[in-house]
Amino acid sequence: MTPALPDILRGNFMCLAIPGPPEQQGEFMTGRVGVIALLSLLAAQEVERGTTARVWENAAIATVLADAADAYGVQYAELASIGPTDLSLEALDRANAALRRGLIALHEAVETAGDLARHRAIVGLYGEMAEKRRLDLPPLPAR
Amino acid sequence: MSDLRAGLETYLTQLWGAPTAVTNLSRIPGGASRETYRLDADTGGVSRGMILRRDPPGSLIETDRRLEFLAYRTVHGHVPVPQAIALEEDGGPLDRPFFLMERIDGGTVPSPFVFDPYAEHADALGRQFFSTLGRLAALNHEDTPIRQAAEAPAPDDCWRIALDHWSGVIEADEQHPQPIVRAAIRWLHRHPPPPAQRISIVHGDYRSGNFMHDGAGQILAILDWEMAHLGDPIEDLGWAFDPLWNHFDEGKVAGLIPKAEAIALWEAASGLTVDPEALAWWSLFNAVKGQAIWTSAAKEYRDGGFVDPILAISGWYTARRHDLILAERLAALAALGETI
Repeated sequence: MTPALPDILRGNFMCLAIPGPPEQQGEFMTGRVGVIALLSLLAAQEVERGTTARVWENAAIATVLADAADAYGVQYAELASIGPTDLSLEALDRANAALRRGLIALHEAVETAGDLARHRAIVGLYGEMAEKRRLDLPPLPAR
Repeated sequence: MSDLRAGLETYLTQLWGAPTAVTNLSRIPGGASRETYRLDADTGGVSRGMILRRDPPGSLIETDRRLEFLAYRTVHGHVPVPQAIALEEDGGPLDRPFFLMERIDGGTVPSPFVFDPYAEHADALGRQFFSTLGRLAALNHEDTPIRQAAEAPAPDDCWRIALDHWSGVIEADEQHPQPIVRAAIRWLHRHPPPPAQRISIVHGDYRSGNFMHDGAGQILAILDWEMAHLGDPIEDLGWAFDPLWNHFDEGKVAGLIPKAEAIALWEAASGLTVDPEALAWWSLFNAVKGQAIWTSAAKEYRDGGFVDPILAISGWYTARRHDLILAERLAALAALGETI
């Protein structure tokens, strides 16, 4: 997933620190500060849940790939063995990218084979992946 | 005086052949694909309220400002929109391409992410919103300005052109693998929709947050025509119905009225019918299109040095929301079908 949390927090800093031209003050800057406030709220959620979600997702994809290796090829077992070098977001995302590429390839093969049971299992995994990474916007009142 | 104000005065003085002063120049929030400014242009004692739409250095999506300009010209008089005044594709004194329109004052455009923005006026606004979309679908566009820049696709090609375009955007701009949207793209290819009933002007971003209302139940203007094109009119309906725009109310579409009522209004105004199979396809397609837009936003955010928070929230929050929407739709389709 992009952008990464450090990108967003650094971006917020630069956005506020770099002065804009006169026509970008007032209403525009007020709106911009409101968006930065929302980003800060979402960043808090990502700090709370982001690492856990990535560790879970990497393990879940690895399990699906490993389970498919007998039917779809040993390359999926090799992909399933990919793990992060450490628990930094960057390392987790690097491993996640490799695992997701493997999952995309597996799902294509499953569709080609008409393997409905495994297709449904992968689609179910997608739902869990999306749910674990969800960000919750508060129902802000209209101004 | 800012460079922008000076550039505008130079341009308008040339355009109108009379000394023109620009006052009250201020940027309007939002508008991630174009920088949007309001201004007053004073010439010979006459003041004109105007809106400037200028290409940004980086944007949410690459769109054709000429097409947007011609779309405004085409629908003016049929759909409530501001009058388009002038287009400069090479940027002239403003450095980047831009166009100018008349300004409609006295209205409000709520964010699509607030709770209950239309309150007691939701029903009246909803009736106008979906009837207007139906009228747009029915509008005869032969020999109109938009035909100078937009080709009419064959009815059975609309889906393929749209899907190829947006899946190409994902292919070009993706920075992290996205298995969910890729699965949706493959499903859409395997299950094409019925041909379009007619080729219509498609707004391309018809949703809550892209219309101005007067706060008393009247729509003043449909805005942001930057993704306008010719295609299957059901595309706009699918985008307007996307849960991303429902303002936390699952019982209504666009935070306005129930879906069945919206469909009935659209059918009455367009003279067309909504085939549930076509709507299901275009609804899934629109979640793909959304994810493509957010994928581009994330790339532009990075390429632009991380300084535009609108691109950040588009590439992050909305991207994850659309992953949820896509995953739910794929699960429903997988549960229903006996084949993949």
